[in-house]
Amino acid sequence: MILDLHAHSIKSDDGRAKVQNYCQWIRAREIPVDGFVLTEHRQFDLESDYSALAEEFGLCILKGSEVETEYGHVLVFGVTKALTEEFDFSDIHLPLARVIEACAKHNAVPVPCHPGRRRVGMTAHIEEYGIPEGVRIVEIYNGGSRGDEDAIAQTMATEQSYLGIGGSDAHIVSHIGRCATRFPAPIASEGELVEALQGDQFEAITYRED
Amino acid sequence: MEDWPDIDELRERFLNHVFDEQTFSISADSCAGFAVACGELAPCFTDPEHPDFQAPPTFPSTFRTHHHRPPDFPQILGLGMDAGKAVHSYKPIRPEQELTTKTHLHDVYQKTGRSGRMIFVVSRMEVFDAHGELLAAADARQVVRERPTS
Repeated sequence: MILDLHAHSIKSDDGRAKVQNYCQWIRAREIPVDGFVLTEHRQFDLESDYSALAEEFGLCILKGSEVETEYGHVLVFGVTKALTEEFDFSDIHLPLARVIEACAKHNAVPVPCHPGRRRVGMTAHIEEYGIPEGVRIVEIYNGGSRGDEDAIAQTMATEQSYLGIGGSDAHIVSHIGRCATRFPAPIASEGELVEALQGDQFEAITYRED
Repeated sequence: MEDWPDIDELRERFLNHVFDEQTFSISADSCAGFAVACGELAPCFTDPEHPDFQAPPTFPSTFRTHHHRPPDFPQILGLGMDAGKAVHSYKPIRPEQELTTKTHLHDVYQKTGRSGRMIFVVSRMEVFDAHGELLAAADARQVVRERPTS
C-alpha cells in the first residue's frame, strides 16, 4: 500500500487542486500510489466527505492536518474533533510539545514535515530550541523540497534515529504522488494509518527524478 | 522582526463590516472587450447581440473600490504584494443593469513559509443587482511578509 501522506486541496488557502482532480490525475497518469492524505494548512476539515470519490476512483482518501509550531510545520495524522478542541489549529505559534502531548492523548501521530526547509523546518530551529522531545517520525522525502533540503532532513533523521515518511506536499494537481510512503498492509481509514505509523514497518519513497 | 498587530484583535475589530459601497452600471462594450482580452470564445460573452449576452464570470475582479481597507485599519509594516484574486459567480451580470458593490474584510490570517511570517488580508466585494440579489463575490487577497533580516 503506497500513500502520499502530504497533500493540500483548495481547502488550504494556497491549494489550487480539487480533490477530484487529484484522483483523475493519479488514474490518467498512472501515478503509482493507492491514495493520499489531505493535510490542510492550519485546520482540520471536519466537513468534507470524500468517500464517494474514493470509491469511484478506487483510491484511499484520508484527512489529516498541517499545523505550525516554533519548530516549523508538523503533519498530524489521526485528527479527531476532540483533538481539534485541544489547541487552536490556526495558531502559527503552537508549542511543538503541546502538539505532541495532545496527539498522545488523542491517539494521533505528529510528524514534523520538510524538516530541512529554511524557517519552517525542524532543523532550522534545533540550534535555538534544542532537540525536541517526543518526535519519532519526520518527513524525509517532500515533493516541494529544493536543493539539499531533503538531504538535510535525512541526515537529521539518521542522527536522531527518527523514522521517515514521504509526501508530495502537492498544492497543484501535477505534483500529487511525487513522494509517498509504502506500508506492508492495506490502510483504509485514519485509524489504520495511525496504527501503521505507530509501528515501524513503513518506508519513505520518492518518484522525483530531479 | 517587525512590530506586527495582533491578528485576533484585527479580526475582532474589522471582519464583516462594510467599508465601501458603490452603485454603477457596466457597458456591453467593456464586458465584451474584457472577454476578448481574456481569450474567451463563447459568443454569450463576446457578442453583445447574443440573446444571453453577459459579463464573463471573472469580470467583477475589475471592479474598483474607493477604499482598499477600512479607514482606521492599521498599517502593517513589511513587504506587501498582491496575493491573488478569486471570483464566486452566482448569477449572470448583464450590461446596463444597476449594480451595487459592498466591500468588507472577509479574512485576516497569518502563516509561516520559507520567506518568513506573513499576514494575509482578504477583502470581499459583493455585487448585488437593483433588487438586492447577490450576483457575485470578488475576493482580493493581499499579503504582507516580514522583511528579510539579512
